[in-house]
Amino acid sequence: MGEEEKLKSKTDQQPPDIDTAAERWQSEFDTQLSEKRIVRNRSGIELKALYTPSDGSDKHYQQKLGFPGQEPMTRGIYPTMHRGRTWSQRQLIGLGTPENFNQRVKKILDAGASALSLIPCNSVYRGYDCDQVEPELLGTCGTVLNTVEDMDVCLRDIPFDRVSVALNDPLPFTMLSQLLVVADQRNIPWSKITGTSNQSDYISHFAANHMFFRLSLPGSRRVQLDTIEFCAEHVPKWNPLSIVGQHMQQSGATPAEAMGLTLSTALQFARDCQARGMDPIKFLTRFTFFFDISISFFEEIAKFRAGRRIWARLVKEHFGIADERIMRFKFHAQTSGCDLTRQQPLNNIARVTAQAMAGIFGGLQSLHTDGYDEVLSTPDEAAAKVAIATQNILKHEAHLCDVIDPLGGSYYVESLTDEMETEILNVIQKIDDQGGMYNAVESGYVQTMIGDSALSFQEQIESGEQIVVGVNAYQEQEDASTRPVLKRPDIEIMQDHVSQLRKLKSERSQAAVERSTRELREVAQSSKGNLFAAEIDASRAGLTQGEIIAVLREELGFGQPLVVA
Amino acid sequence: MTELSTGLTSLLAGESTALARAITAVDNEHPVARDILGAIQAYLGKALVVGFTGPPGAGKSTLVNRFITEMRARSKSVGVVAVDPSSPITGGALLGDRIRMSEHTLDSGVFIRSLASRGHLGGLSISAARIVDIMDAAGREIVILETVGTGQSEVEMAEIADVRVVVLAPGLGDDVQAIKAGILEIADILVVNKSDMPLAKQTVRQLKGMLALRAPVERQVPIIETSALDGKGIPDLSEAVFDQGTNHASTKKLKSADRYRRLLAQTTARLAETLVHQQAHTHLKTVLEELKNADINLDTAACRALKILNENLLND
Amino acid sequence: MSEVKPYPPRVLVTKIGLDGHDRGSRIVASYLRDAGMEVIYTNPWQELDSVVKLAMEEDVDVIGISSLATDHLLVPKLMRSLSDAGLSHIRVIVGGIVPDLDEMELKKAGVSRVFHPGSTREDIIDSVNQLAIQALEARPSF
Repeated sequence: MGEEEKLKSKTDQQPPDIDTAAERWQSEFDTQLSEKRIVRNRSGIELKALYTPSDGSDKHYQQKLGFPGQEPMTRGIYPTMHRGRTWSQRQLIGLGTPENFNQRVKKILDAGASALSLIPCNSVYRGYDCDQVEPELLGTCGTVLNTVEDMDVCLRDIPFDRVSVALNDPLPFTMLSQLLVVADQRNIPWSKITGTSNQSDYISHFAANHMFFRLSLPGSRRVQLDTIEFCAEHVPKWNPLSIVGQHMQQSGATPAEAMGLTLSTALQFARDCQARGMDPIKFLTRFTFFFDISISFFEEIAKFRAGRRIWARLVKEHFGIADERIMRFKFHAQTSGCDLTRQQPLNNIARVTAQAMAGIFGGLQSLHTDGYDEVLSTPDEAAAKVAIATQNILKHEAHLCDVIDPLGGSYYVESLTDEMETEILNVIQKIDDQGGMYNAVESGYVQTMIGDSALSFQEQIESGEQIVVGVNAYQEQEDASTRPVLKRPDIEIMQDHVSQLRKLKSERSQAAVERSTRELREVAQSSKGNLFAAEIDASRAGLTQGEIIAVLREELGFGQPLVVA
Repeated sequence: MTELSTGLTSLLAGESTALARAITAVDNEHPVARDILGAIQAYLGKALVVGFTGPPGAGKSTLVNRFITEMRARSKSVGVVAVDPSSPITGGALLGDRIRMSEHTLDSGVFIRSLASRGHLGGLSISAARIVDIMDAAGREIVILETVGTGQSEVEMAEIADVRVVVLAPGLGDDVQAIKAGILEIADILVVNKSDMPLAKQTVRQLKGMLALRAPVERQVPIIETSALDGKGIPDLSEAVFDQGTNHASTKKLKSADRYRRLLAQTTARLAETLVHQQAHTHLKTVLEELKNADINLDTAACRALKILNENLLND
Repeated sequence: MSEVKPYPPRVLVTKIGLDGHDRGSRIVASYLRDAGMEVIYTNPWQELDSVVKLAMEEDVDVIGISSLATDHLLVPKLMRSLSDAGLSHIRVIVGGIVPDLDEMELKKAGVSRVFHPGSTREDIIDSVNQLAIQALEARPSF
């Protein structure tokens, strides 16, 4: 009985007050952890070992968090978030000819997908037709697609007035021009077409100094604005601008830098649109964002939550908009290929899972999960299936979508969100000091920032400070024969496709081609008239994407990286 | 010797591979370099050597790129020597000037060579002058020397080039103040690049003011506004270069003598430096000891060291 | 005074074909520079003929090709062009995403080394230094 009483009296006692308990914990922690080390995340923020109510922001709940779909948008941009519609599962598919694409996309749509995503061959990215490049490279990374006829084959039997279309179509947006011509041919009104021009943000191409520079920096600026203006009027449900933080993070920017640079880019576009006299309410609703999700789990979650909060505020403060719908920070995210390893490739499934979870907890609207073989080759079909299954498992089996912003209120996540916000705002300030993103990219300031971060992260891996399983720790002897064997497009089919293009070029109306080339050139030279409208006419007249881009390159300048080393 | 003559024949015939290898030999101070340099002396003096210098950010490489285009339009064969700094610590260098000239890569009438300054203080590679000579001997009609626009490189460039172009950009106003002493003295032509920028006119005015302040000289220094991005002002620059080139033809021999005197002085100094580090001669130790104790001054020590080294060299 | 003096290896770091992802080539260029080499760096998307002319004019010892997509498939053609231009003493390495079967093809075509993601700085630098010595020994005399 004595023992029992003692226990009882102990449970009756009030717990010690929070300060006393915190002090006791700190002293125990310090004595028991002999090795003191400073832990930082990729953005350089120092992390405590424990976060408590003193770090949280309960007092300012409405200012800092609020409710989903309400300012300041920290917890999500829609009232229902993933309880309602979860997210679009986007898998990039490409490879081979338009015919190959059409067969594969139909299978995917039959399996229940509601959106399609078209990624062209690297030759298309560079602005060349398939008869202009080394045949070995054709169709190895995406679909070879040069003409309205090719687009028609890609979309055969696909009701693209009912299916959202994502085109990986950097400016001058020749693929979109082809799509609109195909719509006319099928009597689909442009007002019914929904979708996004992915990777359309030219600033990110120059900033990250990679991918495709099709036109000079000033030339790009004009085409981008012409297209935004054209779509606002004629293709109102199309998102002509996807602002791409992914390129910058892939090139080595830290998560905070990538978010800061992306928001600065968005501000630049918005200011440029405004300078043209466009209505912010019209163009801002059509801005979408595209981010990388690294494996730095909590940092990514905080990045997205902070970014959402900052964007809502920027929209309000810079453009005086009170409508919460315009403040929505809609984003697509892709798990980062940079974190995947060639060593022990199946481990990449675990990495992609962690990345995808960070993106989901970050409140994304659309998700692409990488195939585990991404670092071995262009992904094969089996790996792509695992990648999609990963999303479904997280959704249905792990129940990640049952609760909105499930990490909201975590002392750590809220504190980190605040700190990431500060870091991101620092980056935005630096870019403002440079006169905005356009100038900061033109001078090479941004490229240098990204390059320095890339090098410093690589140093961490070299030094072993950042452990990468199978690379600088837990290595194993590996049998290369277990690695997947990749498929390459059939050379003969590809050669057929090239001959078809040649045939098409010789059989089309040369008079129409000449007239249209001249008109396109005149619009480009005059700096008046809408270049995108002229492109649609050119596509309709039978010009290939390579020909359209060649004319624009002659008139507006060829794009080259602006920073040398 | 037969090998050498084959290489030399190809070099003098303007063959690119031989030119590239001769440059390497000279840059690396390979023993064969002496023979090459000796043999080409008779073939020098035909090229018009144009030096471009100016502060970083002035757009030198982009301007040189445009200048090459202009020279090619006039059917002149072109050689370019582009010098970038070596790291004083590692000795490594990232050579990226030619990226701005990439449109000329496949033109056989243009030969571009990137050089690292290899720790040479002046900012020019010590072998730059000799490499310019090799390009001259290989029949390049226009030889362009692009230098790191800092330190003493302007002065060295001045000795090598027939026409010295100093490139400035608007907004580098403070730099103009800082560099005026060295850079304006040597300029035959002043270029204000990026002339479409708002401060361009102001920079031109500043420069005119500075030129007016100088003691009257016989030659006029033209100020040319260019925009390397759209090619504005490049024909004017070319005309000015050819004008100045003719003016300078008469002084070319004189300059050449000065240049060799300076090269000799540099080489002697380097040789002496190596020897001082290598020699363990007892007399030299005494000199070092006396210098350390401040018994003698540095000049006296140097004179005595030279004497000792000289005797040693003769004995070797 | 008549021996050949040691000099920094000269390396051309470049990208051929259609892809432009240059994070890797930039990092490698920095590594080699910091290891005391003279690095000639170019924009991506070089034509094979340009690579040959660059290598010839700059008289490099080693060419490093970075390939993240499938552009390494052009390297065998490059090897033939180098050889045709009398530059077969130059050593060629490839870094990036290169599937195993392709690696075998590249080695057959004369590529000295293929570096995959996760290669260490030390390995890359050592290897380039050694290859530069090989190139120097194989170099035709003037």
